[in-house]
Amino acid sequence: MSEQVLDKKDLRKVGHRWIQTCIATYGYELQLAPSVVYALAPALRKIYPNDEDYKKALNNHFKYFNCMPWLAKILLGASLAIEDTQGLDGMNAVQDLKVGLIKPLSGIGDTIGWVMLPTIFGSIAAYMALEGNMVGLGIWLAINAIFWVIRLKLVEIGYFQGVRFITQFGEKINVFTEAASILGLTVVGCLIPSVVKLVCGLNFASGDVILSVQDQIDGVMPALLPVAAVGIMYYLVKVKKVKMNHIILGTLVVSMIGAALGIFTV
Amino acid sequence: MNNINLVQVILLTILAALKAYDYHCTQVCIFNSVFWGAMAGLIMGDLQTGLYVGGTMQLMSLGVVGIGGSSAPDYPLATIIATAISVSTGAGMDIGLTAGIAVGMLFVQLDIIAKLINGAIGRKAQEYCDAGRFEAMDRIILVSVVLMMLTSAIPTLIAVTLGSTVVTLIVDTLPGWFTIGLSVAGGLLPAVGLTMLMTYMPTSKYFAYLLIGFVLNAYLGVPVLGIAMIGIACALLFYQQRMKEMSSAAIMEGGLEDE
Repeated sequence: MSEQVLDKKDLRKVGHRWIQTCIATYGYELQLAPSVVYALAPALRKIYPNDEDYKKALNNHFKYFNCMPWLAKILLGASLAIEDTQGLDGMNAVQDLKVGLIKPLSGIGDTIGWVMLPTIFGSIAAYMALEGNMVGLGIWLAINAIFWVIRLKLVEIGYFQGVRFITQFGEKINVFTEAASILGLTVVGCLIPSVVKLVCGLNFASGDVILSVQDQIDGVMPALLPVAAVGIMYYLVKVKKVKMNHIILGTLVVSMIGAALGIFTV
Repeated sequence: MNNINLVQVILLTILAALKAYDYHCTQVCIFNSVFWGAMAGLIMGDLQTGLYVGGTMQLMSLGVVGIGGSSAPDYPLATIIATAISVSTGAGMDIGLTAGIAVGMLFVQLDIIAKLINGAIGRKAQEYCDAGRFEAMDRIILVSVVLMMLTSAIPTLIAVTLGSTVVTLIVDTLPGWFTIGLSVAGGLLPAVGLTMLMTYMPTSKYFAYLLIGFVLNAYLGVPVLGIAMIGIACALLFYQQRMKEMSSAAIMEGGLEDE
């Protein structure tokens, strides 16, 4: 099996079918494997006209797969390139490729796609939206539209450039991710004092003068309570490994009790 | 005051289903509460409220993302419901936000159930594959997509039909500290997301940039767009510096890259 049967049209179809199912099939055992199977099925059928071979190939893809979905398309393309040249002999190579690259690709994809973009453009869009301005939203949608166009090409890139693409650009992409983290952290530093709101409602009477505790706190530094809240939460998540949903519930409870006792106010 | 008609209920339900489709498949407006709020606002005939609710939810949800298949509260879903309830009851934004977040939190459970069902669908698909029924395999995998759309559509349908009546009832009986508590929580919840962001990023390595962003806003009052630009400048400097180091390192390695 050395003659390649797939053309660009087949690869585009794989990308299209990946988008159709993507992360909707997520289950705790196979993770996104059903989506992989669904995306690759027509292309694999073309490579393996024989029913038994086709089944073997499909079953090889019915295995644990969980990758950031945008970049997963590179893996799908690269897997197809192996199967298109080596056939079923390449089954192990396909598994090795997937297992080896899921983590680094997801690391990059999660950081940029799920953490950076929604934080940076989300906060800009949100602030403008609060003033009834939709420009920020437009910027975010435009950025995602650009990413959409790039995403359309990724199966082909994976197929034609394959692992070489990933290894060649791997180091560069890592630097890019680090640089993006720097941008992200600068924005987070700005968001802590501007987005988080926590005000102490306690007052102390000293003689005739009523001292507001919040005024005292503001005298130390701006946004001291929000910084403290983030600090405590960071400690709980990072060191004590508390789950995010528990932190959210805890926040609700603390807010209620704090408000009932008059410690916190708005 | 229940100013919501049947057409609006249907449109909101479809909007929620579309939201789920985009979240799971196309991923263009993913995590974009502002967008879904604006859409819900248009349906309710009050774009301003939609934008406001969306913006508020967006700030609360920064960093709250379900990475790698984990379940996280669905803030865009909460936004659609909150916008509908805020406009239809006229009970105010805080109440709408609370109702929305409550449904968003409940959604987490529904999401887990759907993912368990997905496990069964995946196994069934593999059975069809082994039996050579490839078309049935294709079809059953697509059921997962419908399932995921339902996990958003059903809560929305229930919340916007019953929600406004229930919410109006509850609002009249709530004690004052409870509503203040909700507002306090609304101010404090963004801290959760920012904390999560910090755990995803190399915070201890690049703590200096966190500090730069903080000082620029807290002491100098620079808005987020300006700080993002400074962040881009810092990132560019870092990137160029590293690239320079790498290209000088690559010359040492020579032509080892050909396979």
